Amino acid sequence: MNELVGVAAAAAISWLNFVVIDTWMGLPEKPGVRGADYIGRDIEKRGGDLAGGFFQGNLVCSPDASAGTLLGAIGCYLMGVPEGGLVAALLVFIGNRLCADPGYAGTLGALSITVIIALASLAGMSPGLFVAGMVIAITTIQGVSHSRSSRLLGAIARRMDRYTDLK
Amino acid sequence: MLIQITGIIVVLMAVRTLLAQDRAERLLYLNAMSFGISAMIALYVGTAFGAVLAAVYFVASTITSNAIAHTLDRVGEEMVIED
Repeated sequence: MNELVGVAAAAAISWLNFVVIDTWMGLPEKPGVRGADYIGRDIEKRGGDLAGGFFQGNLVCSPDASAGTLLGAIGCYLMGVPEGGLVAALLVFIGNRLCADPGYAGTLGALSITVIIALASLAGMSPGLFVAGMVIAITTIQGVSHSRSSRLLGAIARRMDRYTDLK
Repeated sequence: MLIQITGIIVVLMAVRTLLAQDRAERLLYLNAMSFGISAMIALYVGTAFGAVLAAVYFVASTITSNAIAHTLDRVGEEMVIED
């Protein structure tokens, strides 16, 4: 039971970590690659929000803060804090460059989750909880209802002044 | 416990991918599934090499999704020639 509560808390923290960093780095503003544009407009066609659609398209097409959060957690779980997080940040950066992306969101996500895991370990949360938590967090965005999650992401983008100008 | 949670999510996403009608929708479910598989690799292998494996699997699956989405965008309206 304790582990379930830990996973739920880790999922909420991971969700906030990657959504805030990705929105702040401008993922909802424009599709970084052509494929992201296709996915964003498809989500809009199915009743979603365009900015939220671009956000989700960018997540699929390039390792952003979501990937950074997962791989940072995996690195900390298997290699220790903080060296595992730093190795993960490097691997995410390489992945970003392969996808023709500047690569700052993913690297920043990996570094920030490393700091969060270091702080959470003081409260007795193990890095393994964050590995499963991040999978739950991404499922709430991409695995339940794309139109609803994109509208939520669009509302967050509007609040953070990162809403898309594209039509 | 952790590997069971990720396993259930992976199976759920696989079923949704099979049932989805839209191709872009499928890519989104597949991406969520890749997160789950990557986490399962790390939780199952349990060594430093497992972390490298998980990262390589994840980055490679993202590059694949990138290529598929790019192609779908370029294909646009398909022409189906009937016999």
